[in-house]
Amino acid sequence: MEKNYKKIMMILGAVALIGALAWGYQLYRGLIVTNMRNPFSWGLYVAMWAFFVGTAAGGLVVSSAIYLFKAKQLKPIAKVASLTAFIFSMGAMIILLPDIGRPERLYHMILHPNFSSMLPWDFIVLSAYSLVSAVYSYVLMRTDIMEKGVKLPFIGLVMKKDVSGEQLAAIREQSEKYAKCLAPVALPLAILIHTVTAWVLATQLSRPWWYGGVLAPTFIAAALATGPAIVILASMVAFGYKEKLKDTYALLAKVSAIASIIMLFIYYNDFMVRYWWRTGKEFEALKMVFTHYPLLHITEVVFILLAVYLFFKYPREKKGLIQGSLSITIGVFAHRFLLIPPAYNLIPLRVPVITHRETVEWAYPIAVGEVRGSLLNPEPVFSSFWKYTPSLAEVAITAGVVAVIGLIFMCLINVLPVKEAE
Amino acid sequence: MPKFGMVIDLNRCIGCRSCAVVCKIHNSLPPGTWWQRVETVGSTEHMVPSGENPDVSETFLPVPCMHCENAPCVKACPVGATWQREDGIVLVDYERCIGCRYCMTACPYGVRQFNWQDSRASFKEGFKAAGFEEDWFKDKEYRYGYPFDHKTGDGRIVYTPKRPKGVVEKCTFCVQYVDKGLLPACVRGCSGNARTFGDLNDPDSDISKILRGRNVFKLLADLGTEPKVFYIAPTRKEGKGGINYGKEL
Repeated sequence: MEKNYKKIMMILGAVALIGALAWGYQLYRGLIVTNMRNPFSWGLYVAMWAFFVGTAAGGLVVSSAIYLFKAKQLKPIAKVASLTAFIFSMGAMIILLPDIGRPERLYHMILHPNFSSMLPWDFIVLSAYSLVSAVYSYVLMRTDIMEKGVKLPFIGLVMKKDVSGEQLAAIREQSEKYAKCLAPVALPLAILIHTVTAWVLATQLSRPWWYGGVLAPTFIAAALATGPAIVILASMVAFGYKEKLKDTYALLAKVSAIASIIMLFIYYNDFMVRYWWRTGKEFEALKMVFTHYPLLHITEVVFILLAVYLFFKYPREKKGLIQGSLSITIGVFAHRFLLIPPAYNLIPLRVPVITHRETVEWAYPIAVGEVRGSLLNPEPVFSSFWKYTPSLAEVAITAGVVAVIGLIFMCLINVLPVKEAE
Repeated sequence: MPKFGMVIDLNRCIGCRSCAVVCKIHNSLPPGTWWQRVETVGSTEHMVPSGENPDVSETFLPVPCMHCENAPCVKACPVGATWQREDGIVLVDYERCIGCRYCMTACPYGVRQFNWQDSRASFKEGFKAAGFEEDWFKDKEYRYGYPFDHKTGDGRIVYTPKRPKGVVEKCTFCVQYVDKGLLPACVRGCSGNARTFGDLNDPDSDISKILRGRNVFKLLADLGTEPKVFYIAPTRKEGKGGINYGKEL
């Protein structure tokens, strides 16, 4: 275990280092090193942001459900769950750093926030969520920290206090009380981060692929599908598969499976309405999914359905749980990535060209924003369809952020007294 | 307070793209960036008619920033780096923009352009791609365009020939000229005199006279952005010219 742990940490560290170097390179050269351009101005980073927001949900939903819905089975993994909430909500904010052109000017977000934009609200909600999840984690672990201390590398055990059993019991009761108070704050915040994140996209009238009221419910359903799956994976890493956690895992798997079905239901509801129109931008966006990105769509649906099958069939088997959790993670990631291309490649400025037979909508091309071709081999500067695949730098930076998240998680579960499940 | 707007008469547009080139030169646009586009509607290639013979049409549509009254970009900008000035011009503060590109997502007209790299690098690449053998940009850092920084009354930089990387830019109605009482470059440079720029609030301005009683349209009017760039739809021309503005213009 110790050897494995070191190996994993080394690999994660190496990936994080490569990511940091790639980010340095991107800061030096500018966002030209990505494959985003003017017609396609958001890419992998933003997809990852939406994905991380989704994975952050599970944590606080799980830990607040213990008190709000009296779901006692979830208690043993509450600490790990709220830690994942903290880490992934931080991850969602970190992944936006490489996406913005001038990260050093971020303080303007605090100095001159424009509250008619959804982004400052998202910033507020995400910060509040990570703060609350950090506090929640501390409250849940307070007694254990007093009892066992925090094992810091090089420094050794800290924060250990000599307290008698009676005092410990009193503190435990007090923490329980705090947790009960925090739960009603945490759950609405968990719902809010998805809602506001979805609003960032859904309010944009110029992007018919996002526009409308259905995006926020899909986000919440997707979050309730990935959240528990991430918690399952995280507690498997922390505790391994234990007999006494069987019920806990089974409950999480059930929640995830049901949420997946609801997500697909809302998703296809939207598809149905768009399809029935057979015309207009909303339909064109749907058409683009099936004509240009069928593979992504098949990936999301197949993996999500596979996870549902695995969760329903093997909710009490280690293999089934791991496979199901991984498969839902892949499926929802594909779902998140698919948010981007049909939104941008359906250029909003479309001019109807009317002939006596038909009316076709013609997309007005957008200047790409880079030097293309040369004098003797000119290449078009205006593009009405941008073939986007993330560049190496984008992939490296994203992998780096994922590795950092993994590193922090591994460190935290090693340092903090989460391991001994009650 | 004036409220600036523009009207583009598509009857007079010959698709020469002079406006785009003049705009590029005057505003020191880095290679690859265009604030002003002119395309042939319905065609994949400019200057090629769309449709099938004999049912063909060739309409040119110039698209600058619409300077919308209800601008989606202003609403979307998280830090207020994009704002609408009192005279109706929508501007970008180069010193405040954080480069999140949310405004590019919000803008339905696709006029917003991002500085994917430092303009220095773009100019260098541009000179190279254009076939200049010696790297004379290296010594002189030559940039075409209006050579000074321009600040609004409250001191916000809205034009600089040396574009920093990682900020969004777009058509400013040539704010550096308008503030001096001059017309935007594209209006002055239009070879067909298709463009008229002026104060929409002043009933005696040219633009008000042209708009009064004439059938004009706006791009994507159904989105409710209230553009301040108006278009006069092209009509089938009978005989020569066929359009008459009367004496004053």
